[in-house]
Amino acid sequence: MNFRIRIDESICIGAGRCVDLAPELFDQRENDGIVVLLQAEPDQALYDKAVRAAAQCPARVIVIESPKP
Amino acid sequence: MGMNVSDAPLFPFKRSRPFDPPELYARARAERPVFPVTLWNGQRAWLLTRQQEFRAVLTDPRFSGEFARPDFPAVTQARVAIDKGERAFVGMDNPRHGHYRRMFTKEFTARRMNALRPRVEAITADLLDAMAKKGAPVDLVEALAVELPSLVMCELFGSPYEDHTFIMNCAAGRHGLKQSPEEAHRTARALVDYCRRLIESKEKSPADDMLSRVIAEHVVTGALSREDLAEICSMILRAGHDTTTNMIGLGTMLLLQHPDQLAELKRDASLVDSAVEELLRFLAPVQFAPRRVALEDVEIGGALIRRGEGVFALTPSANRDEAVFASPDTVDLHRDASQHLTFGYGIHQCLGQGLARIELQVVFAMLFERFPNLRLAVPAEQIPYKDDMQIYGVYRLPVAW
Repeated sequence: MNFRIRIDESICIGAGRCVDLAPELFDQRENDGIVVLLQAEPDQALYDKAVRAAAQCPARVIVIESPKP
Repeated sequence: MGMNVSDAPLFPFKRSRPFDPPELYARARAERPVFPVTLWNGQRAWLLTRQQEFRAVLTDPRFSGEFARPDFPAVTQARVAIDKGERAFVGMDNPRHGHYRRMFTKEFTARRMNALRPRVEAITADLLDAMAKKGAPVDLVEALAVELPSLVMCELFGSPYEDHTFIMNCAAGRHGLKQSPEEAHRTARALVDYCRRLIESKEKSPADDMLSRVIAEHVVTGALSREDLAEICSMILRAGHDTTTNMIGLGTMLLLQHPDQLAELKRDASLVDSAVEELLRFLAPVQFAPRRVALEDVEIGGALIRRGEGVFALTPSANRDEAVFASPDTVDLHRDASQHLTFGYGIHQCLGQGLARIELQVVFAMLFERFPNLRLAVPAEQIPYKDDMQIYGVYRLPVAW
């Protein structure tokens, strides 16, 4: 069972918290530090990490779309 | 403090204990979380004492972070003088803020910061060697807390090492609570003037550093003026020096005063990442920021903030929010403290937080590994705290081992 992550890169400030907290799910573009979503429908095992990254994103870029089943 | 929570007392308040924020903050969180205060000039402002309102205001476009606005709140008249002259994106709203910030974010990505770790370790090892060679007692602030961020900024940013005392004095020199506006303005402009000359010299002889890269990518192409870069350069130099220095000095003092917690860190080096988050949470050295001003009337946390009234998002209070942290006044290196707001929140959250984390993780791991018997060389009551500064810390920390 997978869940969905959505990002809005237009409001990203490149703080890098998501990469610190969930490197399996997020990276930053080399040329401007803006977020890159590595897995849009990751495995359930990464759910808690994704929620933590979303909660700590200072610009509220990350949205977890489907709830934990 | 005997004051009533229904007053609008004069802000800022004094601490009663060196490691705890003023006692009124805890009462405000419980009874009146958006708390009215009076500033030095008689202006009304509001304190955000809990995480909920802190996060809400810092992501609400009805509040502005333009330092140059005439109604922008400040703790001193000197601070007003500095704010009026601030031209870097720290004091701008979007879209201007984002336009400039994006020219610098690539320099501070998580990957780049992690790649710096071996150099931070090597620099720290050299500084600890120098301490050992000099012999106890040593002032840890002078020998380590000031030196490490300075040396790291030299390498990363490209500021010459011989200028680091000048840069540090400019960085610290703007935070005095008793400073005159003239002195504050002079100090702020001196650093910008210095940055202008540094940019000129980097243009003539580029090196492998951030400033040279930014010049090549954004100045030469015409996207960023030399004048704007000098302002931003000044902001980055200030931020890279003073805050980390204060965290190292204050963090070491806190650990020495909590020997049980320190013993756990010495026993298990893998605890250092979580220990650093807890030190950041507990110590929150930036005391009177972030700040905003309301662009329209806003009701929040039971208060009505009127258009033109200022707001202080109080990091030291939000980091002790009982709704987020269990036993918030207890130092617990094992807790998940990562929800602290020490680096701010919203679009202005600290650009250099990844660098700060790496410096602090390296220094607190290596310091106690190298000197497991590190102790104060004077009685704890003799340690002078920066009660007269906007960024809290210790002035000196004589240690032996």
